[in-house]
Amino acid sequence: MQASFLKTTNLSRIYSRGPHEIRAVDDVSIEIGQGEFVGIVGSSGSGKSTLLNLLAGLDHPTLGTIDFNGIDLASLSRPKLAQYRAKNVGMIFQTFNLLPHRTALENVELALYFTPTPPKERKGRAQKALEMLNLGDRFEHKPNALSGGEQQRVAVARALVKEPDIIFADEPTGNLDKINANQIAETLKRLNSEGLTIVLVTHDEHLTSKYAHRIYRMEFGSLVNGQKAEKPIDFS
Amino acid sequence: MTFRDVIQTGLGNLWRMKLRASLTLLGVIIAIAAFVSMLSAGAGMQKKINEQFDKLGLLFTIQVSPIHQEDGNDTSKVAPLNDSTMEIISKLPGVQFAYPLDDYKIVASFNDTVINTHGQALPIRALNTKAFSTMSAGKAFDSDSVKQTIVTDEFLEDFKITEPDSLIGKQLIVSIEVATFDSALVHIFMDDGKLLWNRLREIRFDSLFNAGYRSRIVQRELGAAIGRFIDGYLNSRTTVSETLTIVGVLDESREHLRIQPVILPLATAQKFSSAGFSGDMTDLIASLSSGQLFQSSGMESNKNYSRVTIDLKQGYSHKPVVDSVKAMGFRAFSYAQEFEEITKFFTYFDMGLGVIGLIALFVASLGIINTMMMSITERRREIGVLKSLGADEREIKLMFLVESALIGSIGSIFGILFGWGISRVASTVAKSFMVRQGEDPLELFALPLWLIAVAFALGLLVSLVAGYYPSSRAARIDPVEALRYE
Repeated sequence: MQASFLKTTNLSRIYSRGPHEIRAVDDVSIEIGQGEFVGIVGSSGSGKSTLLNLLAGLDHPTLGTIDFNGIDLASLSRPKLAQYRAKNVGMIFQTFNLLPHRTALENVELALYFTPTPPKERKGRAQKALEMLNLGDRFEHKPNALSGGEQQRVAVARALVKEPDIIFADEPTGNLDKINANQIAETLKRLNSEGLTIVLVTHDEHLTSKYAHRIYRMEFGSLVNGQKAEKPIDFS
Repeated sequence: MTFRDVIQTGLGNLWRMKLRASLTLLGVIIAIAAFVSMLSAGAGMQKKINEQFDKLGLLFTIQVSPIHQEDGNDTSKVAPLNDSTMEIISKLPGVQFAYPLDDYKIVASFNDTVINTHGQALPIRALNTKAFSTMSAGKAFDSDSVKQTIVTDEFLEDFKITEPDSLIGKQLIVSIEVATFDSALVHIFMDDGKLLWNRLREIRFDSLFNAGYRSRIVQRELGAAIGRFIDGYLNSRTTVSETLTIVGVLDESREHLRIQPVILPLATAQKFSSAGFSGDMTDLIASLSSGQLFQSSGMESNKNYSRVTIDLKQGYSHKPVVDSVKAMGFRAFSYAQEFEEITKFFTYFDMGLGVIGLIALFVASLGIINTMMMSITERRREIGVLKSLGADEREIKLMFLVESALIGSIGSIFGILFGWGISRVASTVAKSFMVRQGEDPLELFALPLWLIAVAFALGLLVSLVAGYYPSSRAARIDPVEALRYE
């Protein structure tokens, strides 16, 4: 494993539903090294997406710590956490989450609104990111004019454009056919090979076994048998 | 996220929900239009009064008059308004100068027409103040000693003259009848055309050696002489005339100053005053008791005026002067004080009208809240996406607050224009009604800058207040929940 730069210790996310307590993430300790491709697998409701949201700074843990380059995300204020999401994190969702009234270019540009990027540079960087994903001819297309695969590639471009430290992908191939799913997975692999850290959450074990260096398996909010690495992958 | 991004995003979002935003805007437009049109009526009337006061120079004058002792007969307590008290008033801080209302019964001869009217002396300094600045023709006197006169519109009516300009340069003979020592003395020697000689001829000189006859004759002739003196004083006036060139005609808006039809320069007035007494019995008695019967020119120093006008220095408040004059025992009337009362009335009047507009704005604000709440519900997922991209709560709040403010400001701009349109229509209707009633059409509506600013600020403020709760709710949305939202 590369030097760890994202690490959780005894991380828990507990929801209260009346008298009941739901432990969506229960005492999870994982480590992610810089430049790694880490897979988190598990069935629906296993807590893998909740764990991803905690790692991405979208949610606050109930217990435990999330250490990112020496900073405990659990202790950050909401504005600071927003800054972490804006500068360090890129997110890819199963449902793409593109804004339907904006063009592909505008959707990508939007990610730079919350970074210190000068407004004049935004368009150029967004175009570059889209071209990198072979969407050079789709700048002015709105999401409803794009195929599922193209929409997800726009979402990848949006995650990439701000040059984050880490990309969190939550079931990125879940809504795609096999060809498009492979394309996205290959894209992630290519990005990882260029040094970008990828955390892929999926129920598709085949996908993780093919692309991830290490896999964490979750069940009922916990890591299965505390197992950290199911399939260590050699970088070479 | 720059403020420009926020504005552009806000405008884009409003454009996306055109129909809903338009309906909400319409509510704001109607409310602001109601507010503007109602207040423009109040503002119009106030403006008219302000202009009138300013044009007439009334804010810089104070009218001083003696307080008449109505209860009891003790007149010694009444402070006299004469030259010496006027001198004291002139030296009060803030007083530019003071001049009396010194009027005369005169006979004016113009173009073979002779009428009895009134004249008034006015110093050139007074004529140069704003209160007398507007003339319908000509100008003020060249100096206090010139043989010139200014007439008023009342003079025009008396002489049935319609063109003020036609009077300029024309000669006006002003005459005044005065009772003098000379006229009274002449009467001693001449009574009903009978010379004293004729009366003397009736005396039997041979009987004068008789003490009883002599005494009767002396008593009779002395009594007759006194009677003829008084009769001559009162009835046989001397006419003093002056030919003056008409140099100006005051316009009719000077009515409030109660100016006499013919205005005389000080020198002419002085000539009339020194010529003799007015012929009033009280003047004669006063002169006899003061031993000044034969010092008619000395009368001026003791002359009591019915009114003195104070002209204030620029930048000085009327209040301390009014207080000082009142402390001297006079009645002081300030138009500035009246103006303050009128302004106060219009403030309450405007507030009353404004409340109606505010009710409309309150209803419009409910529309804004509704629109924003619906928008937040519909854009819940978008808020989640923006948060996942790094938007913090402050930015989300600002985005929605700006959308709300855009509705308020756009609505205010169109509302002001619409309100102005309504006031124009109302003004046209009001003017045509006035014309039908045979009156001069008055502009009753005004859209001053302060009203535009207040209406805009109010529209913006209401929209911000209305948008505060929805935007706070938007900011607090949990991104994880929002991203799951279908």
